[in-house]
Parts: sequence; C-alpha cells; structure tokens
Amino acid sequence: HPARDATSAISSSWQLRPVPGLQVPLRLPSDRRPPVRRFACPASIAAASAAASPAVPPGPPLAPAGIARVYKPRLSPEAMKEFWRLSGIGPDHSRAKAADQQAEVPPEIKRLYQEALPPIVSQDYRDPIVESLHRAEMMRRRRVINIPEFHVGSILAVSVMDKHAPNKVNRFVGLCILRRHTGLFTTFTLRNMVDQVCVQIEYELYSPSIVSIQLLKLERRLDDNLLYLMDAPHSHCTIPFDMVPEPYSRNDPVPVNRERVRLNPPPWMCKWHLHGYQGIDLEHLYSYLSDKDVAKAIEFSKAYKRYDLLDQYLNRVPVPDADYAFKDIFIQHQELLQHQQQQQQQSSKKSEVISKLTGTV
Amino acid sequence: ASAPALSSQLIVAMATAPHTWLRLVPSCRSYSKATRLYKIDYPWKDEPKPHWVRQFEARRVDADLTPENRDWLRQWRLQRVRDAVASSSEAAAAASPLKEPPAARPLWTPRVSQRCGLVGIKLGILPMWYRNGQKVHTTVVQIPDQRVLRWVPPEDLGNYASLREMRPYRLNQSFLPRWLTQQRWGLQLVGAVPADPANFTAQWCGIFKAAGLPPMRKISRFLVSPDAALQPGACLGLHHFRVGDCVDVVARTVNRGFQGVMERHLMEGGPAAHGSTKFHRKMGSAAGGGGPIYRGKRMPGVMGNRFRAARSLPVLRVNTKHRLLFIKGFTPGPPHSYCQIMDSWMLDVRRSLDANPPPMPTYFAEDAPEGGYPEDVYHPDLLPYDQPLELPD
Repeated sequence: HPARDATSAISSSWQLRPVPGLQVPLRLPSDRRPPVRRFACPASIAAASAAASPAVPPGPPLAPAGIARVYKPRLSPEAMKEFWRLSGIGPDHSRAKAADQQAEVPPEIKRLYQEALPPIVSQDYRDPIVESLHRAEMMRRRRVINIPEFHVGSILAVSVMDKHAPNKVNRFVGLCILRRHTGLFTTFTLRNMVDQVCVQIEYELYSPSIVSIQLLKLERRLDDNLLYLMDAPHSHCTIPFDMVPEPYSRNDPVPVNRERVRLNPPPWMCKWHLHGYQGIDLEHLYSYLSDKDVAKAIEFSKAYKRYDLLDQYLNRVPVPDADYAFKDIFIQHQELLQHQQQQQQQSSKKSEVISKLTGTV
Repeated sequence: ASAPALSSQLIVAMATAPHTWLRLVPSCRSYSKATRLYKIDYPWKDEPKPHWVRQFEARRVDADLTPENRDWLRQWRLQRVRDAVASSSEAAAAASPLKEPPAARPLWTPRVSQRCGLVGIKLGILPMWYRNGQKVHTTVVQIPDQRVLRWVPPEDLGNYASLREMRPYRLNQSFLPRWLTQQRWGLQLVGAVPADPANFTAQWCGIFKAAGLPPMRKISRFLVSPDAALQPGACLGLHHFRVGDCVDVVARTVNRGFQGVMERHLMEGGPAAHGSTKFHRKMGSAAGGGGPIYRGKRMPGVMGNRFRAARSLPVLRVNTKHRLLFIKGFTPGPPHSYCQIMDSWMLDVRRSLDANPPPMPTYFAEDAPEGGYPEDVYHPDLLPYDQPLELPD
C-alpha cells in the first residue's frame, strides 16, 4: 500500500488543491490507489479456453515471472542516496561525511562563521536578501574588529566602551556558556565569579560598542550550552582576570573538554536531567532524584528523536541553504584577508615614512 | 508554547523549535484560505475539500498546444511585459532623445499637499546602531516595479464603483469616512509587480490595458491632493522618499487565527485554582441586567488580518542595488506581505516637510544628484558597520 511505504510517508498526506494559473496535474484520490495490473494467462491455458469458448480478444503480453516482487514502485538506490544526502539524515550520514561533501569551502570557514547559517525558522520568515545583508554587514564589522573563533566552553576577554569607567573601557573575562541566534542578532554569554558573586553578561557579537574580543582559551564542551553551571560549584566558572592567553593553531581540531560536572544538591533552577546534557555527572545527578524522575530522564535519553524525521527536518538548516551561506561568506572572507593585507602594507609604509622623517629631523 | 497542528500543505509545516522572534500566538500560513471569516459554508469557498468531492481545474486556453509552444508563448508574453516595464521606466525617460523639457512641476503647498505613496514588500528586520551606541531595529522593505494606474479626482469619488458598495463593517458605523465626505483628496491607483498576463483574468488585465500598462499583481490606492496628482503610466521609484523622511506604513497585520478573548482582547479570564469550575479562559458576562448584547461586544474571533498603520517612522537607509528602504521600528504584517508607504500624516512631520519639501509630485531623473546615488545612503545619525564607534567623552 503506497501510504505505508517509507518513501511516501510524507507525500501520502498531501492533498493538492487546484490553484488557478498553476500548471500542475491535479492529483485525484484515484491516483493514490495502485494501478490495476492485468496479467495474461499462459498460452496453454489460453488455448484450452479458446477451444472451450468463442473468440477472446487478445490481452496484454505475458507478464514476467518476478513481477510480484517489483510490483510496488520504489525509488532507485541512487535516488535514495541523493535524498539522504540532501536531507542530511540516514544510516550513512555522519557529521564528518557531511563536512567532506562540502569540499569547496574549507572547514575553517565553518568554525569561524558559525553565525552565518540562516536561522531555523518557518520558511515564511526567511528571506534571501535579508540573509545576504546580514552576512555582508557581519563581514563589514569584521574589518573593524577581529572576532576570533570560539565555542561554548571557551574563555574570552571582552572590552566594551563604558563612559563611566576610568579608561572608558570595561574589560570582563569569562567562560562562554551560551551562544544564541544568527546573523547580526548573535549574542554570547560569559560567566565568571567577581568578588564571590556569580556574574553572567550577555554581549551582542556585532555591537559597535565592543572594543575587542580576545580569546584566552579555545575549547569545546560536550553540550551546546553550559547553563547547568548555575547549579554547579563555583569552582567550575572561576577564571582569573589576568589569565594569560593560551596559544592555539587554526589547523588543529578544537580540543573537547570531556569533564563531567557534579551539580549541587537540589533545588535547581531547571530540571537538568530532562535536557540530555552530556557534561553532567549523570550517576551523581540521578542520586538526587526519585525513581520516577530517573525513569523520565532515562526515557528522554533513549534518543528516540533520532528516528523522528520531521523533528530532524524542522530543526536543521537545509544543506543547500547552508552551502550557499558558507560559499557567500567564503568569498567575502577572502576579500577581508585582502583588505587586512592592504591595511598592513599601508601601516608599514606609514611607519617607514615616519621613521624617515624622524631620521632626517 | 504548544506546537500548532500541522496544516494540510506539508511543504513546510510551522516550526516546532521555539524561536524568540515567533510570538506565542502562532500566525496562520495562508490567511486567505485557512481562516473562517464567515461561518456559512458555500460550495465555491476556497478551502481544502474532502477527497470524495470532485474538483476540476478550469481548462486553460493553451491546453491544446505542445509544451514547447506553450513555453515559447510564455517567454514571448514575459518579454512583452519586460519591454513595457522598461519603456515606461524612469531610466528610459531620462535616456530618451525625444525628451521634452520638464513640464511645470507643482510646488509643495503647506497644509494642502499630500503626495502619492509607494507599494512595498516587507522582507525582514536588520539591526543597526546609532552613532551614540544605541541599538535600532530597522524593517527592510523592498520597493518593486510600480506605475500609476489611474487618477480619480475628488469630485468623482461618489461615482467610484468600489466605494458604492459599502463593506460590512461600515454598517456598524453611522458616519461615512471624512475622506469621502470632505472631497479634499482624490484617489491615486498604483499598480505594482508586473507579471505574466496568463496568470490573471481578462477583466483584471483590462484595468491595466486602459492605462497602457502590463498587468500587475497588486493594485493599491492612495489619498492624494489634486496638486500632486500623477497621470497614468508615471513611474514611482525608490527615491520618492529620502533618507530622514518620516513615513506611515499601512499593512494587514499578521493573522493569528481564531483566538479567545484573553489573547484577542486581553481579558483576564478566571482563576486557575481555588475551586474554579470550568472558568479559566472565558469571557464571563456578555451583558447586564437582562439587557441585550450590544453590537461590537468583544468576543472570540479571528485575531489580526486587519489593516493597521505604523505612524511616523523615519527612513534611516536606502539601498539602491536591491531597491530597499530601511525603516526604523517594526511595521505590521508578516514577511513578504504588501505594505503601503506614504508621507506621514502626523502634524510635526508635515510641518518639518514645509521647510524641506520632498520631490513633488514624485522623484524624476532630473532630481538626481551629480554622479548618481551610491549603493547605500545612510542617515547621518546611523553608524555603518565598517566604521568604528567613537563616543564623545
């Protein structure tokens, strides 16, 4: 039955309506029923029946033997592979393979410009012109300030303009626990302890009041956000303000910090056991919970969402859109590098001229 | 927010992932088809029908042609549309060797002049920053190809066909609108977004044929004073509005579907607990003392999908490459919806326009500055992204 076929699981619920001016063949309910196949009877039986009864009109040719097995219309394996590749889901899919398929754009672009991806919202709210404007303005801002590559779990030092500060600049060092939104709306939250008080500051990445963003330690964690540190001992987010930046190489993969945090005893700000966090010590966490809560947490962690096709479709950026965004950013990234080289040449020329003048004077 | 039910068109269902820009009350995807403005069910209503109802598409005029011929004819039609658009554009008028010297253009008369507006398509939102460090959200509106279609002088408003049939909500109101009774302003019809004539009926195409224009998807009307009237075929362009002009944006608001009184009219409802029996989100009393329910009583119904105006929004930036206006603040309507943009009716804006009058009756090529316009024109208070912020000490 076509409705139960995995390939047409989504198409079976479509109901195309006539739209004036649209050249689409109308799909009637009769199209969903399988076509009636008429098989011709073998020659011997036909001869016997012809002898028994008067002239029988000639029927369709004899059906091949294996017709029963290939009766249901199926997609060819090549078409299925193409479907899996475009959708980004399937048994052969993995993060590394998806990254290799987009071979034209180097992987460092995706690490540097994570916020260039279009937002995951309904198609009604997305517009290609607005998204290209966001990307162009992002690259324009990067000509003024250097925004380093950082992930949730990295340690940053951010200086913002503050007219009330002594040097008109306010510097804050913290662990990045959250990175939200896309495009020019991108924000990141830093957390630190200041005078035994937990402080979390959310900065807009492309705000012009940010003077500098300095990366002190490049690191990644097991989760997309570290909000559970609010219920963790303060030692996990105590970072000295005079921390020396650790060197890193762009070519190396981002180191992953696989530590598992032991939370404080409840009450907690949030039900941390129901969000699938990998960075929490789960045995220690479950020791605080009742059997009912533990069962709920374990059921959540069964990862049934891996099989929820619609959930995966709605909560991912389509691969062609992501490709287009990164290719657009890659071109502008190369222009940015040229611009930086020109600036360096100009500044070196200026310093030469100044040294000559001072020399003569 | 609870996930909304999936619509029958499963091309893209509404997103279940919460996004901060989505409101708690979801918007209907296709308001013209999904909302039930009237409870009466009639056979020709544009609504998804059950599968046992026979539905047939009207037979197309070019159904007997081969696909190649059909495509060739379609390309020929589109080329004719493009030629008509190009020949009536302001670039053609400027480049024509037969260009006559400009006729006397009307002067801006304080408290009298009201120019025509533009039809725009709302695209989305872009954040920007002022030079004092303050953040401002700008709505990106695209100005498509548009031409003036018709001018109806104020004296002829009473004879105008579409005004003779009053809309249902006019029955609730005892007074006709002032723009109809005062007869101070006339109606300027503007057509936007030229398209293939095969997409429209012959009657719709006939409206444009009288003006010598290709058929367009959208017709809007603006209230314009007679001294700023434009004749059919005139081109309305992006530079009709300048950076710094304050505009009013009129559009149909986002359709929220059938909503209860708590969302629609911000009523309080009832207590969630303390023995409340089946009274949590209800209206309560509809009238008092056994009296009748008065007309206009606030009750559940379709929320949104109404024309509303956002007043006095300054134009902060103009992009000539994509034909975009960056208007401060937020305008009604979902992305990719039409909106009307016109000089603001607020008195302080009108007084400021007397000192700095805009191009009357509209922008022409002769108003262009020497060297043309750059790709981006910014308001002086706005900080472009490639400039560093310099705060005064």
